[in-house]
Amino acid sequence: MRQALPLQEPDRQPQAARPILACHDLRKVYRMGEVDVHALDGVDFTLRAGELLVLLGVSGSGKSTLLNILGGLDVASSGQVFFEGRDLTAADEDELTQYRRHSVGFVFQFYNLIPSLTARENVALVTDIADDPLEPEEALALVGLGDRLDHFPAQLSGGEQQRVAIARAVAKRPPILLCDEPTGALDFRTGILVLELIERINRELGTATALITHNAPIAEIADRVVTLADGRVLDERIVERRARPSELRW
Amino acid sequence: MTWLPALDRKLLREVTHLKGQIATIALVLASGITCFIALRGTYSSLEWSRETYYDRTRFAEVFARLERAPESTARRIEALPGVALVQTRVAKEVSLPIEGLDRAAYGQVISLPAHGEPATNALHLESGRLPEPGHDEEVVVLGSFARAHGFGPGHRLPVVINGTLRNLRVVGIAQSPEFVYAIRPGALADDPKRYAVLWMDRTVVASAFQLGGAFNDLSLRLQPGASEAGTLAAVDRILSPYGGLGAIGRKNQTSNRILTGELSQLGALAGMVPLVFLGVAAFLINMVLARLITLQRTEIATLKAVGYTNGEIARHYLGLVAVVMVPGALLGVAGGWWLGRIVLRLYEGIFRFPDLVFRLTPGLVMSAVLISTAAAVLGALFAVRSAAKLPPAEAMRPPTPARYRRGLAARLGLGPIAGASGMMVLREVERRPLRTALSSFGIGGAVALIILGHFGVDSLNNYLEAMFRREQRQDLAVAFARPADPRVVTQLASMPGVITAEGIRAVPIRVRHEHRMRDSVLMGLPSQATLRRLVARAGHEVPIPDDGVLVTTALGKILGLAVGDRLEIEVLEGDRRLVRPVVAGFVDESVGLQVYARTGVVSSLEGDLGAVSSALLRVDPSLRTSVEDQLRRSPRVIDVSDVAADVQRLRDMNGAAMDIWTLVSITLAACVIFGVVYNNARIALATRSRELATLRVLGLSRAEISSILIAGLAIEVVLAIPVGLFLGRGWAELFFTRAVDQETFRFQVLIESRTYLLAALVALLAAAASALWVRRSLDRLDLIGVLKTRE
Repeated sequence: MRQALPLQEPDRQPQAARPILACHDLRKVYRMGEVDVHALDGVDFTLRAGELLVLLGVSGSGKSTLLNILGGLDVASSGQVFFEGRDLTAADEDELTQYRRHSVGFVFQFYNLIPSLTARENVALVTDIADDPLEPEEALALVGLGDRLDHFPAQLSGGEQQRVAIARAVAKRPPILLCDEPTGALDFRTGILVLELIERINRELGTATALITHNAPIAEIADRVVTLADGRVLDERIVERRARPSELRW
Repeated sequence: MTWLPALDRKLLREVTHLKGQIATIALVLASGITCFIALRGTYSSLEWSRETYYDRTRFAEVFARLERAPESTARRIEALPGVALVQTRVAKEVSLPIEGLDRAAYGQVISLPAHGEPATNALHLESGRLPEPGHDEEVVVLGSFARAHGFGPGHRLPVVINGTLRNLRVVGIAQSPEFVYAIRPGALADDPKRYAVLWMDRTVVASAFQLGGAFNDLSLRLQPGASEAGTLAAVDRILSPYGGLGAIGRKNQTSNRILTGELSQLGALAGMVPLVFLGVAAFLINMVLARLITLQRTEIATLKAVGYTNGEIARHYLGLVAVVMVPGALLGVAGGWWLGRIVLRLYEGIFRFPDLVFRLTPGLVMSAVLISTAAAVLGALFAVRSAAKLPPAEAMRPPTPARYRRGLAARLGLGPIAGASGMMVLREVERRPLRTALSSFGIGGAVALIILGHFGVDSLNNYLEAMFRREQRQDLAVAFARPADPRVVTQLASMPGVITAEGIRAVPIRVRHEHRMRDSVLMGLPSQATLRRLVARAGHEVPIPDDGVLVTTALGKILGLAVGDRLEIEVLEGDRRLVRPVVAGFVDESVGLQVYARTGVVSSLEGDLGAVSSALLRVDPSLRTSVEDQLRRSPRVIDVSDVAADVQRLRDMNGAAMDIWTLVSITLAACVIFGVVYNNARIALATRSRELATLRVLGLSRAEISSILIAGLAIEVVLAIPVGLFLGRGWAELFFTRAVDQETFRFQVLIESRTYLLAALVALLAAAASALWVRRSLDRLDLIGVLKTRE
């Protein structure tokens, strides 16, 4: 059964909240044929406990590269990444796997659900290996899909698939949620619904959330907006009043 | 590269990309061609050698043995309709007390005409010359015996001819179409050291056996179209008053029968084995091409959009078949030539032909290539047809996403046990039941090949073991020159060192019931026999009835006999009596077609006082040599044989051949299994890389995603193993009943557990090797790239 989202004024995140994820002078260089491409060129960045942060930037600005490194999918060429004070740049393959397994939830533009598993089973994929997870049914109820437990991805709409992906990401109760263009493949109305869900999870579960988008209006739902351009931090601002997703227009 | 059309360049790049898969498919195809060429080539080489040899040496079509007939009888036979050539001979048993042999060798001396070549069964001289007429010490010796002892022309050879020791001079070494497979009568296996065939001048042999102006052996060639059965009957009629032992056709001539039996087995193998490989190759080609075509839907659409025809597109993808075929065929032909020569060399040690070479004929290569091309094209056809039929607009759209259902596993409540990753594996298997079945069948076929390569030796060993332990428990068998007085058994029993002695009477007979007839042996066994017992295939002992005869079940079936019927027996020796004993029962034996009765019953049928033709002895091991020596000195003893030694030799001979077969079947089967698992794994990896990368992102380790990929493959292998074991047994049964002469051998097909274990182990190891090979690619999985693309 779909749960109604409580529409209240979002809590302000105290600036003093402790940093959960931080990077310092982060650089990533790709070799493309004869030329070196500097995807990240000295990024300093912090994600604080409980905050909702939007990473804004045009295509090629380095935001996905940053998110991949923060999520332990990729390693930096130089610089440091700290997760709760632990240096991730020194982590080996197994440690990064453990980091993704227990500490990070991912939401992707194209959902990345396993087509051969039902909604419930897609979530169970994560709850099977997490330490203190929500029940898959609970996680799916949280995203309003309590009545679609046994549907396969091919039987769900795009928005529903993205909500299963969100349930899968939060079911392990991660301290961090990383969302890479979560509305990129969805129409406006469905996109708003997905943003409402992410915003609510951030608010209710207190999951520190970093959301990547090229879509500037979305930044208004954040506590803080970091704008990237050409692999550098161009601007960082605190949003005075977190807008409700339903207030957004694009 | 610019000279190549763009479409061909695309093909070349795809080949580079798919090189692992192409290589493994080419290997499977090559295995099929190798088997085909090696087996079929050996078969046709042996057949060709046999035909040319038989033809050149005028190998007879009818053979007859008799007591003694005047030479003039031959003219009556010559006058029979359909008879082309007649050769009369004198042929008798001799013994050769060769220095250094623990027992004297057994031999046959056969006369050669005083002048000119024999009309039938001419000799092929390896070295030296034929004996000069009237030179009584000159002898030509069978090549295998001479080689086993390492002598040639000029050597002196001691031979006991009709009780007299003579020192003969070897003047020539020869081969004969009658002794392509030279085996002592009644022996289980050939023994070149102890079985000699000697050819001497007719006058010399005849005078040694008091057969001047007479003959005791006859062979005929028939005119084309002549009736063999008619001639046999006519010859029997003419020879009957002269102690004829019953004429036989070429198919029952010992050497030819064994050679033909072996050829028919080889022919059956040549038909069955390559099919497995070619079937698997066709399946793999289909699987890889179908995958490639699915991946390239948009490319196919683009090609069509710019004006390529369906035919051109079909040809483009069929080009991939050519790329698999060319190295596969080259490798297969080379492998077949190599393996064929090895297999033929195995046969060379058993069958003696003057010119046995592996003949790699253009026809053989052509048929191997054509058959394998047909298999490959057939495999490709369905996949290519779907590419050609794809409408351009549809091809531009992504393929419909795969539909999954909850499936059997979920309905059976396996979900909680298997976990989410387990369900991924099970649903993938359930979604493609045909591919799973075909893969399992392919791997199972390979497993079955290993069993097929090994069951013969298992079954034979089992039979020998049973025979040795239960049926024939003597240490020595003594054959008498002619049926002896039954008191000889008592004398043997009282010899120092002899523990038990039992006499046996074997009488050549012809049995008839209604219109059916067979040649057989009537065996008279003593009532309290302990050394030779009758044991049925099922393992139980069958007692010999006091009255009537016991018939081998197979013979009973051929003749349509039931218990209580009267069987007509024509004794083929002495005064050729015709008797009609009652069938008292049947014994389901593994070998031959025999009739058994108590010794007393046989002697009453024969009208004699219970003569014995051989005696079985159990001897004290410490006195065995002295017992043997004494027996050999007796002029009445023609041969002393040692069953244990015979069995051991048979085992050794089979063992050597089987080692090679086992190695070859394991190698080829491993190629197939590796090919199937590797290709399945590559395809699974290609189709599921996005899924697997997602799992990595979600926090599953490399080992965990590998186990998901490998579990799918493991299910196929685990399903395949019982299929293979079952199939292997079925093929072994089929092969045995189709290819082995059921009137001679009816061994129970027995496959030892270690053969099953070996086959299963090969499957597991080959599968594990290929899965590990593919697993390396999982380590290179691009986590980020796959997440950026829409499926």
